[in-house]
Amino acid sequence: MRVPCRYNMSIPPLAQAKGIDVHRGPSKVLEGASVSLGAGEVVSVMGENGSGKTTLIEAFAGILPLRSGEIIWNGGDQSILVRDSDGRRNPPPPMGLTLQKGGICGDETVSERLAISLSVAGISSREEQVLDLLGHWGLRHRSKDRVSHLSGGLRRRLSILCGLAPAALSQTPMVVLLDEPSEGLDDTAKETLKGWLRALSSRGHGILVATHDKELSSCADRILTIEDKFLSETSGESSGEPSELSFSAQSSEQSPISSLIRWSTRMEIRNPIETVGRATPAIVAILLSYALVMDFDLQTHDSRLLAALVLAPAFIASISTPALVSRLSESDCGRWWDAVAGPMARPAFTITGASMILPIPVTYLSWFVLSGSVDDQVSSEVLRWLWIPALAMVDLAIASTALHLLVSNLSRSSAAPAPLLLVVMVWPFLELTDALSSIIDNGMSWGLSIHEPLVTCIVASIISALVWLSAVMIPDY
Amino acid sequence: MSDYRDPAVIITVAGLSCAAITAFLGFFQAPLVNPDSWNAPEAYRILYWHVPFAWSSFLSFTILFAGAVSWYAKRSERGWSMVVIGSELGLLFGSGVIISGPIWGSAEWGVPWDWGDVRLNTYALLTLVALFLVMSLRSQPDGEETRDTLAAVGLFGFILVPITAAATTIWRNRHPGVIFRESEETGEVPVDPEILQVMVFGTFSFMILFIGLVLLNYSIYNLRAELESLNREIDKEMTN
Repeated sequence: MRVPCRYNMSIPPLAQAKGIDVHRGPSKVLEGASVSLGAGEVVSVMGENGSGKTTLIEAFAGILPLRSGEIIWNGGDQSILVRDSDGRRNPPPPMGLTLQKGGICGDETVSERLAISLSVAGISSREEQVLDLLGHWGLRHRSKDRVSHLSGGLRRRLSILCGLAPAALSQTPMVVLLDEPSEGLDDTAKETLKGWLRALSSRGHGILVATHDKELSSCADRILTIEDKFLSETSGESSGEPSELSFSAQSSEQSPISSLIRWSTRMEIRNPIETVGRATPAIVAILLSYALVMDFDLQTHDSRLLAALVLAPAFIASISTPALVSRLSESDCGRWWDAVAGPMARPAFTITGASMILPIPVTYLSWFVLSGSVDDQVSSEVLRWLWIPALAMVDLAIASTALHLLVSNLSRSSAAPAPLLLVVMVWPFLELTDALSSIIDNGMSWGLSIHEPLVTCIVASIISALVWLSAVMIPDY
Repeated sequence: MSDYRDPAVIITVAGLSCAAITAFLGFFQAPLVNPDSWNAPEAYRILYWHVPFAWSSFLSFTILFAGAVSWYAKRSERGWSMVVIGSELGLLFGSGVIISGPIWGSAEWGVPWDWGDVRLNTYALLTLVALFLVMSLRSQPDGEETRDTLAAVGLFGFILVPITAAATTIWRNRHPGVIFRESEETGEVPVDPEILQVMVFGTFSFMILFIGLVLLNYSIYNLRAELESLNREIDKEMTN
């Protein structure tokens, strides 16, 4: 018999959606939906294409804005408000999550991805454990391969394993959210999935699965059906034999944010498109400036022009589109990080995705190339203090990255004219030009009046900080 | 087919006509300013449009800001319609400001642009924000997340620009001060009364135009929403 969805009072809830209204596109997808996910149960969410299954999973994960209602998770002894319609948002407790598109960047290796899924869930894993887990899903021989080299089916297996593994290794009940896990899986992998779902529920974990696969939903204890914005509930068959899972691991103190920073750094070391993509236009700018002004005595003409030319390459490097934007947009990787790391993911990305190292060497290189006509005494004074405006350029780079990430929130971000917003960064750049010009003309001084180079650099940094704050804080409100 | 008796159309046409009359009065009737005080006295006539453009754009950006706040606070459809209308009119009137300003600046200052000028840069950036919003409104699928991001951009522009511009331009400012304020010493307005009359007429003309365009854009917004709703109903019928 089909009844309206209710709370299951017999099982302590691990997570609850209370009266949520969610809009997707111009239409309301869920209206007043209340769902409770208890410890030790598998709940299947069914419905036609576009009915709101993915919306429910993503709302549970806290990555969708709510028109009304709230999402509450129970972590340990306390309730955590993950998201509500007033814009309040907190990081969820450790969980397992598989998004519809997988949420994996192609530059990651198979074992690395699994290890990261475990570490963001607060689980410390050894290499043998990771290989053992991969072996269960027929991925052990691919452990060192990049994800981009996997077939679609293997990639799907990996993303499901990454969603299930944290619960498999966790000693405490955990929420697992799976969106269309059986999509693209062969029969063997489907059987493995069903066995794991039953095994994890028997260990006290709560699993919410969005699927249109009736075979998979047969292993659910409850079935929620979404029809025309509303949820109804039927009891499930709870069929299937649990797999034998004998994993155990130690919990780790590592926060999801530190995992995110390590992930971001590792991706860049493996495929340094960020550095190359920023350094190339900067070096081209230095060479072009040199070719254009090599015969001019810039110091006697106008020190502001010399200062602008010296700082322009670092400025160009700072405002270029960060490679992180494309990494995060690949297979919804950014949404996965947003879900597991919570509201601090965006500020962390603006720092890891910014050009933190380049502005200083590029500015010094630019000075060496363009300062041929400057006398030695002035040059040695500038070289001594050039790091100050170059350092302020790092703030500018972070603010620019925040603007790029703000625009990347749009579903068709490639069609949005992000450079229009970046014009605001011209102001801190002009302040830094003033500061360097002042150092060239009068040497460095530590006075605190308004035209002193130090104060000018601080003003540039404050402007950048304001841009950063606006771009990072407003959208998550 | 358009209904030309629609009050929005009538007010818009009246506003456009008055703006055209302002241009005529400004170029052919208003007296010349004091040649000793201005570098290019003839060029000042463009201010009869420049100043009302600036006022109208300021009102447009205020609508944009209020709409963005309303969208964040209540997720209200009316708030979103204000974001859409404010950005479209902000782009229109802001473009008027940043096109007419440099024309006058070239003649009066000898340079079309001054990066240290507070009002010039504020309006330029706000206009670019409006351009960003208008282009994004056309290119992005409508939805909650799109609206959140674009409303954030609207707030970003409005909150940030005056602060950063003010911080920057403590150093340099080339733009003339407010010229119609009463003098503190004499209590008189230091402008020829005829110039003032044309300027006031121009301001009212642009206010009428502004009101007409707000009403017109609101009608268009509602018609678009109605069309989208009808399309969705047809989609539903086609799939059943």
